[in-house]
Amino acid sequence: MIRLSGRFRSALIIGLQGIRARKTRTLLSMISLFLGVLAVVVVQTGASIAERARLADVELTEGIDGTTVLELNPTPEAAKIVVDTLDGSTGATALVSVAATIGEPGVTAVNPGGSPFDEDWGAPQDCTPDGVCTARPAGQAIDLQISAMTSDVREFRPFRHRSGEWLDFTTIPALAPRLVLNEEAARGFAEHRVPAELHIPGATSNITPQFIGVVDDGNTSPTAYARLDELNNWLSAEGVVDPNGGNGVQVMLAPGNPVAQVLTAKLRGIGVDTYARTINSRKDMQDELKLFRLIFLAMAALVLLIGVAGILNVGLATVGERVEEFALRRAVGTPRSLLAGIVLAETLLTGLLTAAAAIGLSAAGLKALSALFGDQQPFLRDVQFPWEAGVAGIIAGLIAGILGGFVPALRAAGIPIATVMRA
Amino acid sequence: MSPLIELTGVSKILKGQQEPRTILDGVDLEVNAGRSIAIVGRSGSGKSTLLSVLGLFDRADEGTYRLDGQDITRLPERRAAKLRSSHFGFVFQRFFLLKHLTAAQNVSMALVNGQGWLPRRNRRAQVMAALDQVGIAHLARNKPPRMSGGEQQRVAIARALVRNPKILLADEPTGALDTETGTSVIDSLLAATGRGCGLVLVTHDRDHAARMDRTLDLVDGVLTERVPA
Ligand SMILES: Nc1ncnc2c1ncn2[C@@H]1O[C@H](COP(=O)(O)OP(=O)(O)OP(=O)(O)O)[C@@H](O)[C@H]1O
Ligand SMILES: [Mg+2]
Repeated sequence: MIRLSGRFRSALIIGLQGIRARKTRTLLSMISLFLGVLAVVVVQTGASIAERARLADVELTEGIDGTTVLELNPTPEAAKIVVDTLDGSTGATALVSVAATIGEPGVTAVNPGGSPFDEDWGAPQDCTPDGVCTARPAGQAIDLQISAMTSDVREFRPFRHRSGEWLDFTTIPALAPRLVLNEEAARGFAEHRVPAELHIPGATSNITPQFIGVVDDGNTSPTAYARLDELNNWLSAEGVVDPNGGNGVQVMLAPGNPVAQVLTAKLRGIGVDTYARTINSRKDMQDELKLFRLIFLAMAALVLLIGVAGILNVGLATVGERVEEFALRRAVGTPRSLLAGIVLAETLLTGLLTAAAAIGLSAAGLKALSALFGDQQPFLRDVQFPWEAGVAGIIAGLIAGILGGFVPALRAAGIPIATVMRA
Repeated sequence: MSPLIELTGVSKILKGQQEPRTILDGVDLEVNAGRSIAIVGRSGSGKSTLLSVLGLFDRADEGTYRLDGQDITRLPERRAAKLRSSHFGFVFQRFFLLKHLTAAQNVSMALVNGQGWLPRRNRRAQVMAALDQVGIAHLARNKPPRMSGGEQQRVAIARALVRNPKILLADEPTGALDTETGTSVIDSLLAATGRGCGLVLVTHDRDHAARMDRTLDLVDGVLTERVPA
């Protein structure tokens, strides 16, 4: 061990001396290698950032991998069975989606149909039974989805806290439903002044909601989250479910939760079919992204290979020029392996230097991009340079150093010592 | 006392594309501690080849090579490298100094062997001692391009001496120097024999050869003692 490390150290020091003595050569090697290493680093950076951004949101919108999701046709009886079955059980949440409007009644909302605020889907129409339709007048109202839950959904969808509080499921249901907005809804309420009055189709009276917090749920349409029992205070469980409105009832269950079977059986008893699936989005997406990453990395590897050819070229020329030095080193007792080590150390150090330069440039570039476009592109907002890209760059530099230094190292080790006598 | 080096019947046969050529033909040679040998001969007579066999750069095709009484005729390269660094010092006609290193760094180059470097402090002391032996300790920090030929050859001698070798092999060390400088270089080499080092000097210069204890003549690969006239 001591022997090896001593040798390693000498190879590094002598290699460094060689690099310092031939700065131009080293620079040329670095230039030829730079684009390849840079390509690897950039591909890794892009892939890591894309993966992080997409994977982070997929858990928020779809649920964490392994979660079982039961979807069912929303009938009032089914809703009641779901609520009764889940009551008090852990590892299971039912979500009932309700279309709602907050603001002036009977007008066209600023985002008709609960669309994102920048999109215009046209005004909805009210139709009489005999087919006469009239558009509602425009007014100060916001359409949104309310997701009413039987228990905390964050067990399955880890929303990011933004401000205020999250719903407290341990207290007695409040009379006025408390709502937690997602970021898009919060933006809508910040940009548009609307009366604080909540309308839900099918409900006879309106009520003033309390906004208690904002979360990031990965959803780009305005959505609010509420306790189902608080909505029920004011709207019966059956009333929440509107079979014509297409509102969904979704049950999320932890892996292996036996409630799933009980619930399915009960629902089948009243003739309601359920559709069960297990969330696997993160893994699916990872596989898909991995493929893309491999394709891009293969292209980067090609560029890197051209760089290796460059470093090899410079390395061979250098060995040819240093025949006497290597012969002399052998004459004074430097073993061939150390000689090869010196040449390899030089190219490895060159590769590492190049990697450092490429990583530095990428990190600086990313910072600049983030500063310039962070406002417009949320995925560029406070991005960190991903460590995977740094590791990939260093590995690329090392591999290029080994590939580019291997043949010159063999040549150097094979130089006959007697060269010094015939020079 | 047994000789440091004992060659018996050593031949070197070159097998090129043409028919084999005998470069060294049954050479017998003894090198003793503290003694000096001059080898003279025409160009192409095989002097450098003999030195490269002696210095373990190359192997003999016939005959035996004993170093310190041990037969090392067939030695694996790794052990040969070790012996080169522990037993031998080399000086050549050209100095082979690395331009980008200082005199001291050039000398300490010989302190690298299979085990890596000596500890830094010992290294420095040894390098300075070697430079001092050849009288150029004051040039330790200079780089070769800014030294005279004689000074450069002394750095090369210091590099050969730094490991306290048992045998010094010098191949025309004065060939590129004027007479006066050459004489002082021979002085430095002879001084090493005073410390118990064996010296083999290949030279074309009769005066230098005459200062050695023995002079051997190499004619077409055959080594003969030159009888003092
Ligand atoms: N690698 C080799 N390939 C072909 N011939 C060689 C080789 N090495 C040596 N020779 C031949 O061997 C002979 C002896 O060479 P050597 O260098 O030992 O001569 P020398 O006595 O040192 O000559 P000089 O005084 O000119 O240095 C020469 O004829 C040379 O051409
Ligand atoms: Mg010669």
